[in-house]
Amino acid sequence: MIKITFYLFALILIFAASRVITVKNPVHAALFLVLAFFSSAAIWLLLQAEFLAIALILVYVGAVMVLFLFVLMMLDINVNSLREGFVRHFPIAAFVGAVILLEIILVIGAWHKLPTPEAATALAAVPNTQALGMVLYTEYVYPFEIAAAILLVAMIAAIALTMRPHTRAKYQKPEEQVSVRREDRIKIVKMPSETKD
Amino acid sequence: MPGLNEFLILSAVLFCLSIAGIFLNRKNLLIILMCIELMLLSVNTNFIAFSYFNADIAGQVFVFFILTVAAAETAIGLAILVVLFRGKNTINVEDFDTLKG
Amino acid sequence: MEIATLNLNMLGLLPEIVLLTMACLILVIDAYLPKHQRYLTYQLTQGTLIGTALLIFASFPEQRVLAMNDMFISDPMGAVLKLFIVLMVFFAFIYSREYLRDRNILKGEYFVLGLFAVLGMMIMVSAHSLLTVYLGLELLSLSLYTMIAMHHKSQTASEAAMKYFVLGAIASGMLLYGMSMLYGVTGTLDLTRLAQTINQIANDHTVSVAILEKISEIKNDNIAVIAIGQQITENAGGATAAIAQILSENTDNTAAIAAIKPIIDQTMQSYTILLFGLVFVIIGVAFKLGAVPFHVWIPDVYQGAPTAVTLFIASAPKIAAFAMLMRLLVDGLQGLQVDWQNILILLSILSMATGNIIAIAQTNIKRMLAYSTIAHVGYLMLGVLTGTQEGYAASMFYVVVYALMTLGAFGMIILLSRAGFEADQLDDFKGLNERNSWYAALMLIVMLSMAGMPPMIGFWAKWSVLAQVIDAGFIWLAIVAVMFAIIGAFYYLRIIKLMYFEKAEDKTPIEANIDMRIALSANALIILLLGIMPQTLMVVCLGALGVS
Repeated sequence: MIKITFYLFALILIFAASRVITVKNPVHAALFLVLAFFSSAAIWLLLQAEFLAIALILVYVGAVMVLFLFVLMMLDINVNSLREGFVRHFPIAAFVGAVILLEIILVIGAWHKLPTPEAATALAAVPNTQALGMVLYTEYVYPFEIAAAILLVAMIAAIALTMRPHTRAKYQKPEEQVSVRREDRIKIVKMPSETKD
Repeated sequence: MPGLNEFLILSAVLFCLSIAGIFLNRKNLLIILMCIELMLLSVNTNFIAFSYFNADIAGQVFVFFILTVAAAETAIGLAILVVLFRGKNTINVEDFDTLKG
Repeated sequence: MEIATLNLNMLGLLPEIVLLTMACLILVIDAYLPKHQRYLTYQLTQGTLIGTALLIFASFPEQRVLAMNDMFISDPMGAVLKLFIVLMVFFAFIYSREYLRDRNILKGEYFVLGLFAVLGMMIMVSAHSLLTVYLGLELLSLSLYTMIAMHHKSQTASEAAMKYFVLGAIASGMLLYGMSMLYGVTGTLDLTRLAQTINQIANDHTVSVAILEKISEIKNDNIAVIAIGQQITENAGGATAAIAQILSENTDNTAAIAAIKPIIDQTMQSYTILLFGLVFVIIGVAFKLGAVPFHVWIPDVYQGAPTAVTLFIASAPKIAAFAMLMRLLVDGLQGLQVDWQNILILLSILSMATGNIIAIAQTNIKRMLAYSTIAHVGYLMLGVLTGTQEGYAASMFYVVVYALMTLGAFGMIILLSRAGFEADQLDDFKGLNERNSWYAALMLIVMLSMAGMPPMIGFWAKWSVLAQVIDAGFIWLAIVAVMFAIIGAFYYLRIIKLMYFEKAEDKTPIEANIDMRIALSANALIILLLGIMPQTLMVVCLGALGVS
């Protein structure tokens, strides 16, 4: 039964991943990536990584992919020009991918290992979230702090890079509009009358 | 329960798809960013599978940090993309030819 | 579930903690400073760097001390490298201030990101777990990507940032894939335990290969199989012990072979997967160092980034990348030294060849220095691949010297640049001697040193790695390295020729702040002085690696 579930989700995952790299429209690619994340999460559930499976959906589908779509919409990209050369590159890409895959499978394909009974019970003894929480704030407190610094850098970076200077923004200042005086707007200039030549 | 090798092969397929995707979509930066996400997904699947079969939580903790860093990385990548687009109005890699030599 | 006793030992991390706190403080202070007081950000940043350096110096460790639950290591090598990193960044900031102001990118965030990059480098240098190596690397890289892209106005800068980002992310992915394989085989992220398990597997592998050879020789000789069993019990452990056990119990040859077969297969497979992981890890590290064939980003990023950022990227992060190489390959994968040695030899020859030959064809000096970096990375790896403590010390010597020279060379480019003008062409150095003979002399020192001419320190750097390579028995490799060094000398000497024997086209007087002038002169004079007394730095490097 678990095996069937695994193969079902694995097939969906591979299908979705191959669509991500072949579809024309980047919006569709993003949606297929969402599908890939969902099926990955299902596979992680089979491996008893419940917390990470949920985090993947919440963080990736919920935030990162939305960010992707947001940028996609904002940039108004000309899709057609991006597809040139796709057919030309296809044989090389397929070849490179297939060769690497073959090599990896030759190395790891025979790595049979079944979970030992005590191992499975050891992981299942404590709820996954609790087990992660226990080590995250104790043994792994140092990487945890570094990760915090990395997120801070990402924040600084996003703001420093994309915040536009104020000069271009146009907005009303009601207090100035109300307190405006006639002299600020109209200037009466005395000029000698001109004669027609 | 599927064996370790089945999970590893699945993630290897994902890894190769992402590399092929980078080759294939050399012109489209957004798809390249998505391929990087796929690559990290494959690595994460590796770690989680090892974590399960070695009965060791460290692999899952590593994935936790990869997820965090990858989110930060995506944010910065998209920010650079926006900066680039504002300057040139394209995300086509072949329009970026100022640097040659 | 009980909580394991933690060995936090936070005092060892004091420099890092102070640096992080100050970076956050400066970020907030900068946001509230009025525009005309923004120079305070710069002063605070430099003050922080000096403070960090003093703290590193004050807490200099006598031997290896682990902290933060074994994820952090402070050892003499780490402390020396960190001191140099902080020093290089200090100089880099002095050089870059005016350049940034002229181009309107002198912002508080720039210095804050610079401090975070320093933090990332220090974390990499002190990493004692695959996890902290990765996180330090990312903290460094993310800061660098942003620092490049911050120059909004420059199209080349954002292009360079994007190229660096995409290739860097792919390299991180490769590195992680390799790390996942290492974790899968050994079941640990801790570098010491990783090294122990890998040594065990490497040892088992040697025994297994020997047994397989014997089996094919002896066929039906019962006594010979038992003899193997007695031989290998001496340094037994892991699979070797299991094999010895089976051999000592069995007297029948066929049964014994059948019994040990699965164990041997298992060992062989673990070893293959380790090698597989090793290759991916080396790809990741080679990318960060910029070794051929993973160097494609270097010329584009060096040329496209604002020179101030190029200066930053080219100097201190290379020291951190060297530390990463040491932590991963030497601390973690020492057991596979035979295998990574061959890969490093290949990378090193390719880097020296590509870097030195392509540099000749360049007309843009930033691009030329980029290829020169690639060549230097090749020499830098020569010391590491010998696999001896003296070799590591020679490489460490090389990387520090390299960073100093790069700092000087890019500092000169910044000095010649001014608002609205980039001195990034070779021709911009024409007749520098006429315009200002002191600056020409400084550049002369830097270029001679890069070319590896005595009495500059660059000569001693090349000499020390070559001596180690010859000691390790790779005389042919040393000859190849010398040959490429001679080819490489050509393009450095060309700049000297331009400075001294050509007429100046651009007669604009060269102006710079007093701190910039002092720092640049000091930088070049240090190169000369160390060249006269190379033992001082060499003793530090040897001491850092525990060689007296």
